[in-house]
Amino acid sequence: MSIHHPTPDACIACTACVVNCPVARATPNYLGPRLVGPAYERFRLLGLGEEASLHYCSNCKNCDISCPHGVQVSAINMTARAEYCLAHKPALRDWVLGHGELLARLLRPLPAGLKNFGMLNPLTRRALDRIGISARAPMPAFAPERFRDRLAKTYQGMQPRKVALFPGCFIDIYDPGTGFDLVWALNRAGYEVIIPKEFSCCGLPMIANGFRKDAEKNAKRNLRALQRMRAEGIPVISSCPSCVLMHNQDVPEFFPELVRDGRPQVLDAQAFLLDCVERGELSLTPENEVAERIIYHAPCHLRAQGGGLPGYELLRLLPGLRVDNADAGCCGISGSYGFKKEKYDVAMTVGAPLFDKVRRSGADLSCSECGTCRIQLVHGANRPSLHPVSLLRRVLEKRA
Amino acid sequence: MKQTSVVIIGGGATGIGILRDLSMRGVDAVLLERGGLAHGTSSRFHGLLHSGARYAVGDPESARECIEENFIMRRIGKQCVEETEGFFAALPEDDPAFAARWVAACREAGIAAEAVDPEEARRLEPRLSPRVREVYRVPDSCVDGFRLVWHNALSARRYGGEALTYHEVSAIRTEQGRVVGVEARNRMTGETVNIACDYVVNAAGSWSGVVARMAGLDVCVSPDKGTLIVFNHRFTSRVVNRLHKSSDGDIFVPHGSVTIFGTTSTPTDDPADSAPTSEDVVRLLDIGEPLFPDLRSYRILRAFAGTRPLYTPSNASGRAASRNFHIVDHMDEGLRGMASIFGGKLTTYRLMAERMSDLVCRRLGVTTPCRTAEEPIIPDPSPETLERAARSFPAHGVKLVADRLGDAFAEVVGNTAGEADNGMLCECEMVTAAEIEYVARDPDTHSLHDVRLRTRLGMGTCQGTFCTLRAAAALAERHVDFALSPGRDVQNFLQERWRGLRPALWDTQLKESELSRAVYLATLNLDGACREQNN
Repeated sequence: MSIHHPTPDACIACTACVVNCPVARATPNYLGPRLVGPAYERFRLLGLGEEASLHYCSNCKNCDISCPHGVQVSAINMTARAEYCLAHKPALRDWVLGHGELLARLLRPLPAGLKNFGMLNPLTRRALDRIGISARAPMPAFAPERFRDRLAKTYQGMQPRKVALFPGCFIDIYDPGTGFDLVWALNRAGYEVIIPKEFSCCGLPMIANGFRKDAEKNAKRNLRALQRMRAEGIPVISSCPSCVLMHNQDVPEFFPELVRDGRPQVLDAQAFLLDCVERGELSLTPENEVAERIIYHAPCHLRAQGGGLPGYELLRLLPGLRVDNADAGCCGISGSYGFKKEKYDVAMTVGAPLFDKVRRSGADLSCSECGTCRIQLVHGANRPSLHPVSLLRRVLEKRA
Repeated sequence: MKQTSVVIIGGGATGIGILRDLSMRGVDAVLLERGGLAHGTSSRFHGLLHSGARYAVGDPESARECIEENFIMRRIGKQCVEETEGFFAALPEDDPAFAARWVAACREAGIAAEAVDPEEARRLEPRLSPRVREVYRVPDSCVDGFRLVWHNALSARRYGGEALTYHEVSAIRTEQGRVVGVEARNRMTGETVNIACDYVVNAAGSWSGVVARMAGLDVCVSPDKGTLIVFNHRFTSRVVNRLHKSSDGDIFVPHGSVTIFGTTSTPTDDPADSAPTSEDVVRLLDIGEPLFPDLRSYRILRAFAGTRPLYTPSNASGRAASRNFHIVDHMDEGLRGMASIFGGKLTTYRLMAERMSDLVCRRLGVTTPCRTAEEPIIPDPSPETLERAARSFPAHGVKLVADRLGDAFAEVVGNTAGEADNGMLCECEMVTAAEIEYVARDPDTHSLHDVRLRTRLGMGTCQGTFCTLRAAAALAERHVDFALSPGRDVQNFLQERWRGLRPALWDTQLKESELSRAVYLATLNLDGACREQNN
């Protein structure tokens, strides 16, 4: 074996993970985290061929969340997938879904309208469907300009403090608006937002699609910037829970040799804003009368960090909002999982209880930190969906 | 009264090997075993298919036999053998002079021992201590003792040989200095079985002294107890031996999904002395740690012990006693029609069986030559069977099941064809309902314990916590009844698991056992603790 494997030893087969696995519940094609993870791992070490249902693991990490003994079930699965992909070249589809950022860079010279026409027209969708990207799945549209490029041209005022932002691919490529909502809040709290030039895709989609080497390359690049920021005493934040999880948990787990000189942490942006409120840097006095009902969905990758729900807390501090926690499990999309043709229905089945809850909640909007969760929420529950920082801005910003 | 030419006493590898050998030569034979097949020493060892390197210095004759048989076994028993290769690794504190002698002795015995750069060895086996100073690669391999015995039994059956399990020999009948028959008691039914025969082979291993005494003979066999530890996963993919004078706790063997590490060597009077102790476990860990520094962080599943049937005519004991095998024709002591085989090791079981069968054939005037070195024990499953199996078994499990079941594989696959759901009852060792049902229906199967020996049910991570109940329920649903009630059967099964869990009951395995106690004793109240609730 060429890759370091997490140990299956802590598993006592209690099946807590099986009970809490949304994918196993949705499809018989997935034999469940306990079997595919720690149980089968013992046979992988024996050199037995790969278990076919491994590819149905969505890496949502509800197994890790529910394990009472700290077994890194999803890490076992993702390591097995990486090992499998070393021997079996992943499909083009998986490369495309694992390398959204690179793809966006390649398409950069084209204007967004053309890109979107090129990618989203029915003919292209049919072609993509052929390679395994479901024509039924909701596809995000490219923004006219990358978030980081636009931010570089934006005057943020003279701010006393600095914070580094790891934007994450979703905001950077598809959703700069949310990025600017965050920048607005941070500016208001007295922070100038910088984006170190090394920052590139956190690597989580690469891991999930089996491109371990590429993920390692990106981790190295990102760590260079993280270490520099640490040396300069500038905190690094990200508003995307999956990116935070990748930096803080998965990189040290998968590439322990990269973090031998310490593990630079990326802070949850919403938790950072809460701290700003606490320190008196950010006032939550509303500028607008709003009376909205919001239903909040906690992304699995946020819950997997065990750091509470800072985005939800932030929303609850905002006057005028009535916020309920949907608390209905995984939305199903799991990054790029729900875009895959053979998994689209699984993802929709997984998300069904959440969609149902959102629809019945009477809320006008759903809200979640994760970009692809929001896409899925819009698709499945037919309601608009926003990031907590966007709501924050909506309440706090004086409208002209 | 039953009639046969040869009665073989002892259903370990040697006895069953003799049964197969004789049956292949067309000699009528019946084997008697007091427990299940391979319940004694043949299942209570490392699972190491010796290259002979371990014996090269001290016992060159054994070493030469081992290397020859090692390559024969890879050919005839590939379903039971995993060709892993082995390392001999020396640490700085090990005597370099011994290593030099060992290399020379291996060359002498015809065992390829190739030096491996320690850094390369660590790349191949990353858990190995960075302190290793010298590493050699040898053709050690791994063998599944349970399976080897079963496959031999299946093959013997094909050739007309019969093995009666749970039949304990109670008397050996002689008339005028000649053996005429054997009396045995069926331990399941209590019935007495009389078998008239021309020849008796005593292959009872550690019990061979007891058997010989029934014929009024005195033989020098001293049971020697060895304890081993089973770890939850394979932390080495090769056999790893410490390169020093053979001693306790210096062999690590990857065995299927687990790693087995041992052994100790303690003389004992009782051939059935298979109770491991915590002291032995802790001592083994101390001894093994220098080679695998993280040894204590790997989860221990259980410990087990067995007795080696050492042949000790010269009063040598323990490691000083020869590991070689000996055949004694009791004609020299005035009893015609009986021979005993002592000592030896699983690696050379086939050769032992061949030599013994040669003697028996000479005495019976049979001239058919031995064919066990050429003919595979189990024929390969057909591609069609494998293809059909892939539909009803989890894809990765097909090879495991095919190797485990041997001859019976095609039939089990046929049985699953009509079933909608071939549930995985034992997830730790990947055993499905169809396999369990098939084995349970075998006339030689009397309990879940017997099912375990052939399928590995309950031998993995959970040590029976989940699969015992599932298997008992599935068998009840399918109307497979044993003489034991299902409740009693489950209780016995768990009690046997407990025996091996107890000496290493700490850390994760303690949690596992608590979960098991919660399931069986609290939720199911298996021990019937009704009074506690009444108080």
